[in-house]
Amino acid sequence: MAGYSNDHIASLVRPDQVHRDVYEDPDLFDLEMDRIFGRSWVYVGHESQVPEPGDFFCTRVGLQPVVMSRHSDGTVYVVYNRCAHRGVKVVNEECGNVGRFMCMYHGWTYDTNGDLDFVTQSEGYPDLEFDKLEHGMGRVARWESHHGFVFANLSPDGPGLREWLGENSDFLDDVAVSAPDGEVEVTGGVHRYLYHGNWKMQVENLIDMYHPAYSHESSSAKGGQQFSRREGDKGGIQFFEKRGKVKSMDGLGTHALPNGHTWQGGLPPVENMSEDHRAYVALLEEKHGPNRTREILIKKRHNVIFYPNMAMQELNPHIRVIRPLAVDRTEIFIYPVKLKGAPEKMFRDQLINLNRTHSPTSLVQTDDVEAFTRAQEGMMTSGNEWVLLARTGPQESLESGRIRTTGTSEEGMRNHYRAWLEYMCADRPE
Amino acid sequence: MTKNNRSGDNQSAFGELLFVREVEQFLFYEVGLLDDRRFEDWTDLFTEDGYYWAPAEINQPDPASGVSLFFDDVPMMRIRFARLRHPRVHSQIPPSRTSHSISNVTAKRSGTGDRVEVEARFQMLDYRPGHDQRAFGGKYEYVLSRGDGGRFRIASKKAVIINCDDVHLPVAVPF
Ligand SMILES: [Fe+2]
Repeated sequence: MAGYSNDHIASLVRPDQVHRDVYEDPDLFDLEMDRIFGRSWVYVGHESQVPEPGDFFCTRVGLQPVVMSRHSDGTVYVVYNRCAHRGVKVVNEECGNVGRFMCMYHGWTYDTNGDLDFVTQSEGYPDLEFDKLEHGMGRVARWESHHGFVFANLSPDGPGLREWLGENSDFLDDVAVSAPDGEVEVTGGVHRYLYHGNWKMQVENLIDMYHPAYSHESSSAKGGQQFSRREGDKGGIQFFEKRGKVKSMDGLGTHALPNGHTWQGGLPPVENMSEDHRAYVALLEEKHGPNRTREILIKKRHNVIFYPNMAMQELNPHIRVIRPLAVDRTEIFIYPVKLKGAPEKMFRDQLINLNRTHSPTSLVQTDDVEAFTRAQEGMMTSGNEWVLLARTGPQESLESGRIRTTGTSEEGMRNHYRAWLEYMCADRPE
Repeated sequence: MTKNNRSGDNQSAFGELLFVREVEQFLFYEVGLLDDRRFEDWTDLFTEDGYYWAPAEINQPDPASGVSLFFDDVPMMRIRFARLRHPRVHSQIPPSRTSHSISNVTAKRSGTGDRVEVEARFQMLDYRPGHDQRAFGGKYEYVLSRGDGGRFRIASKKAVIINCDDVHLPVAVPF
């Protein structure tokens, strides 16, 4: 790994520009995996993906394979997917249910919390005292969950999950309370897609309300309106006011929070409620009364980034996981979020809409990843080493370090790079 | 067995052959429309309530159990293909070229005989200039019905590609 000094890293980020190396340099990517994905809380999965004891779900934290499992005691664990013996990845399916994990290589077994269970032919280790933990698969330093959303942190230092989430934890509260049963589950499958570009391009795109009319014009019909993306809406986003005049999306304010988190909002109410939607509202009213229900239905924040690797939207509620593979290669996984207790038909509509917007065949994200791929290529040019993130709008600083500004401001991205610098330049804890 | 009966058997075997051949010719025509980018004509093959489905999981029971790669009714197909005709459909500039092949066709009549259930294997090559050529393949399941003049219409087409749960680059043309 290149020995970049903090001064060098700091020189790559200017107040309104970033150097192309942050997208193009493989050594910086390795540093990011170590210092951002190795120090920040990173979204792993949702507890509902492992409902029963013995259930497991494999994913990565940065490039490191981990397993989220539900142990026989009912608790969820996050452990490294690695045999303590010779380093072999133990669990080789994305999800399933086991009594114990067994390493294929020499048959060592582990409990569903990653603790060492059994060493085969252990008489061959007369001088070694096996320890359940030390010779286990290895627990990650910390993992915590909020409303079932499990985050892991590979570093023992730094803030706890709730402190790190900050205002984003209120958003998870909002999502949970919008389910008639008060909780959500992740049981609607997953859209998986790939692009040949840096992981940060996707994160930045999620807070970019400047691009839709240009990138996604082809998804709009004659009048400049996108197809309907929600049951009950006649049409979707209006891109153009009149011929050739792009409608500004500044109204969707951008909010920049500490730790690189950002959000935009809000979401207008459904135009014509379907019968199922009315049934859903009735369920909420039964539980919370009409006033609180009205509050719940106002989607103040509808698009929320949990920097660095997760984002959620309340339009067809879903989780987006950003999974870096290499400096120029990124996977995106989209998980529908099911509001428990809501009419089944609502979830079905949600799935259908997510097929249209977020599948590998979608009418929308495909043009985003086209932009990421072309950016990755365009930045190879040496004519201009800087990427411009200078767009602003009226801006105010609010309590607890929050900045509020306009939807097309690039403040959200500048906020990402403030967090990026903090993670990348902080002294190593040892 | 009398001579008469044998010729009856031959006749029905011959009829069966013609029937499968007719189905095959229809399938070749159908996927040819995709390769020729005659997307609107392809859409018109579907019945009014027809649909096209490509699951995202290998044993996905139905399109309501989870997300899918494609799950288009006819109105959605029209939106999808109108976009592919748009002059600024960036992710399709330049557009993908495809080549579909079909084999292992089996067809059986069901119901009153107007309904035909078809299974087949397929491959689709997909090349967009500047990108690596991709090969998709798997199983088709159709339900066909007889429309005006006895011509086939598609009530449903399901395409299960063997790597449906892989992480995919954009796909523009149906399998
Ligand atoms: Fe976009």
